[in-house]
Amino acid sequence: MIDEIRRVAEQYPVARSAILPALRIAQERHGGWLPPEAFEEVGEALDLTPAYCKAVASFYDMFHLEPVGRHLVELCTNVSCALVGAQQVLEAFEEELGVRPGETTEDGAVTLRTIECAGGCGWGTVVVVDHRYREPVRAEDVPGIVQELRDAD
Amino acid sequence: MSVPELVTVSVDGREVQVPKGTGLVETALAAGIEIPVFCYEPRLGPAIGACRMCLVEVEGMPPKPQAACTLTAQDGMVVKTALTSQLARNAQNATLEFILVNHPLDCPVCDKGGECPLQDLTFRFGPGRTRMTFPKRTFDKPIPISPTISLDRERCILCYRCTRFSESVAEDGELVAVNRGAQSMIATFEDEPYRGRFSGNVTELCPVGALLPTTYRFEARPWEIQTVPTVCGLCPVGCNVNVTTREGKVKRVLSRNHPDVDGGWICDKGRFAFGHLGARDRIVDPLRRQRRRGLQPAGWDEAVDEAERLLRAAQGRIVTALSGSETVEQAYGLAKLMRTGLGAHTAVLPEEISDAVDGFRLPLSAIAGAELIVVVGDDPVEERAPIVDLWLRAARRNGAEVVTTGVGGGAKACRQLAGEDDELGRRLRESDRPVLIWSGSGGAGGAHVAACAERLGFGSKPDSGVFYLPLTPNGRGVVEAWSAASDDEGPDPDPIGLLFVSGDEAASDPSVRSLAERADAVIATTMFQGSAVGWADLVLPGTSYLERDGTFVNLEGRLQRLRRAVVPPTPDELAWISQLAGRFGVEVSPYPSVVFGELSERIFGGLPYGEVGERAALRGREPTGELRAPAPAATPKGRGLRLVRYRPLFSGAAVERVPELAFQRPAAEVQLSPQDARRLRIKAGDEVDVRSNGTSRRLRARIDKGLVAGVARIADEHAEELQATVEVARA
Repeated sequence: MIDEIRRVAEQYPVARSAILPALRIAQERHGGWLPPEAFEEVGEALDLTPAYCKAVASFYDMFHLEPVGRHLVELCTNVSCALVGAQQVLEAFEEELGVRPGETTEDGAVTLRTIECAGGCGWGTVVVVDHRYREPVRAEDVPGIVQELRDAD
Repeated sequence: MSVPELVTVSVDGREVQVPKGTGLVETALAAGIEIPVFCYEPRLGPAIGACRMCLVEVEGMPPKPQAACTLTAQDGMVVKTALTSQLARNAQNATLEFILVNHPLDCPVCDKGGECPLQDLTFRFGPGRTRMTFPKRTFDKPIPISPTISLDRERCILCYRCTRFSESVAEDGELVAVNRGAQSMIATFEDEPYRGRFSGNVTELCPVGALLPTTYRFEARPWEIQTVPTVCGLCPVGCNVNVTTREGKVKRVLSRNHPDVDGGWICDKGRFAFGHLGARDRIVDPLRRQRRRGLQPAGWDEAVDEAERLLRAAQGRIVTALSGSETVEQAYGLAKLMRTGLGAHTAVLPEEISDAVDGFRLPLSAIAGAELIVVVGDDPVEERAPIVDLWLRAARRNGAEVVTTGVGGGAKACRQLAGEDDELGRRLRESDRPVLIWSGSGGAGGAHVAACAERLGFGSKPDSGVFYLPLTPNGRGVVEAWSAASDDEGPDPDPIGLLFVSGDEAASDPSVRSLAERADAVIATTMFQGSAVGWADLVLPGTSYLERDGTFVNLEGRLQRLRRAVVPPTPDELAWISQLAGRFGVEVSPYPSVVFGELSERIFGGLPYGEVGERAALRGREPTGELRAPAPAATPKGRGLRLVRYRPLFSGAAVERVPELAFQRPAAEVQLSPQDARRLRIKAGDEVDVRSNGTSRRLRARIDKGLVAGVARIADEHAEELQATVEVARA
């Protein structure tokens, strides 16, 4: 992984500028989140301190500092989506999965999160399932999506 | 240098002329008007406008308050501060109200209370009453972010001074802000302590009581303390410091900005090592060896009598071992006693110091403006003279190139640099602002590096400079004082009748110890039992630099004034040197001012004691005679790696006695170059065995990109008995 990060860093004039792609690589390698050792690895690869890497990662919403489930369901609750029923979609997910936003199901299968605008305002409600957009999603589509994830597991 | 263009700015109706580009905060100050700030601190790099305390109204700019700290003076600018602008007044009022939303009302139990910028500015610029009736954000507190610093996140106003210091001054990257927006907080990585040579500076930068030294916790209130301006005596930089005392005890050490020497920063050794004054094994009474009973406390009269007896019995066959941490006056007093009184001219210093570098003298701050800097020698600069490392970092940020060379053979590297066909030497020759720094063992370094500079044509370039980083804080002053006391010379005594050991550093020097084995008797002056007990016949209690009055000469050759911050628990050295000198018909005053007066004529150009100054000036360059570098010492041959020992910053008698600094002691590791590590199949963090004939040490490997191949660098205290050539292999 350190070599992979260094290859990415070569595309930047300064290695430190590669911190975001580096953290993303590390997050993929560590099962979707960034444990403390991930910051040590990224720091070693880019010649930065782990503290600096963590400072950057903790600023951005798409880096996870706590373990996540095998699947990630992210739901936009900003204005456009809210106007077409994001709240109902969220409640449907909560009911179906038995968790609140930010939590992971007990079996470790799915993490539910609310996010800010994902840029699909014309097709709300936007739900991002494992980094792929589903749009528009209505409350009645939710059981199907959850079943799909359980089947894939 | 071109004269900067002057611009006229109106601040609250007062016209003021300043150089174009001056910050608005400074511009207002030039007009006698204060713009309040929290985050603004020019020494931390470009302003960031984080705290919004400096809001002002500027005519012609958008009709909203502007952050003055991010603006610079332009011709015809019309600025209105809170004094004359309702807009600015309201904005500052609101800013403070926001800052105080989550700030706890801790002032009665906060160490910052009474000397707190937030308290002061709230009083002067803030709302008189609070509208906050809801609960404030709470955190666990205080959190120790290191054994020396505690963090109170409730009090933090997120000005980012501390993280900017860590990122852009010390460049350690250890202290950061995590999370975002209202959730932001200052943190180190996980539970790691903030480990750095300069970490303590954040406690002085913090404008609230969020980052505080643990050693000062609940120790004193600002109205109970006294401040003594003096200089630090723990390394050859001689940082200017203010010592806070309360009821005759040192409570803390703060920086006292000398822009040419330290730029207002001090290292953690200088800041936190004062705890050694109250060490448990501090010697306060003279100790005299008595048959079968070992060292026993003795009265001062008895001790001086005994010292006189031992000195007489030696019949001039005396060797004086000096530490280089004596004041100029002590060294001179001792030299007069030994040389004029007893005809004993032999002295041992930890290193030989050459005054040849004085021909290329520059203030330390000039390093920041240099173009090309070459550091020659074995020792990491930050271990020898930490503040010099900060100047080097500043130079690098200003675009200078810093090259380290000559690890394991500085003298050879100097010859090579001065040679005709050396690439780096050629560039030094061509540069207008080149700097050479010798940082390594082998005292002749000053002569080597000065001879090199001479051959590279530094003599004709006023902005070139040469620095020699001595091992001892006042080695230069001690040598000057010793040689000023007499022109006579004498043969080295053999056998040695008496070894006189001055100071804990000399007492812990192995070469001094081996002299002691050859001496009939030993008198030692040390602060601590551990340094002298077991081998001295008479021990006279020593004092610390914080307890002395006198002068020090720092590595630049700057004469600086030491002031007594607290009274020592024992008479100081000059007192009994004076008494003892009287017994041999030599007149030495017990007062440093008188001793200095006598000495100043000879070596300091007659400068009066009172004029040494609190921000001492630097003497000009002193022409040196023809410079000849001594022959370089032979480099040991043999298979394996050359062992390079260095004395770590966090070592020595004072540091060892301060438990808060234990976490800063050097790790048991060996530094290897990347090339050697690859060849030996050693990775960073591996356990390795370092062997030389007969001895072996198990250490952890660290890969240092700045190290040349063929060298293994180990801190003195971990190298122990290892020989000059070592084999390194994975354990």
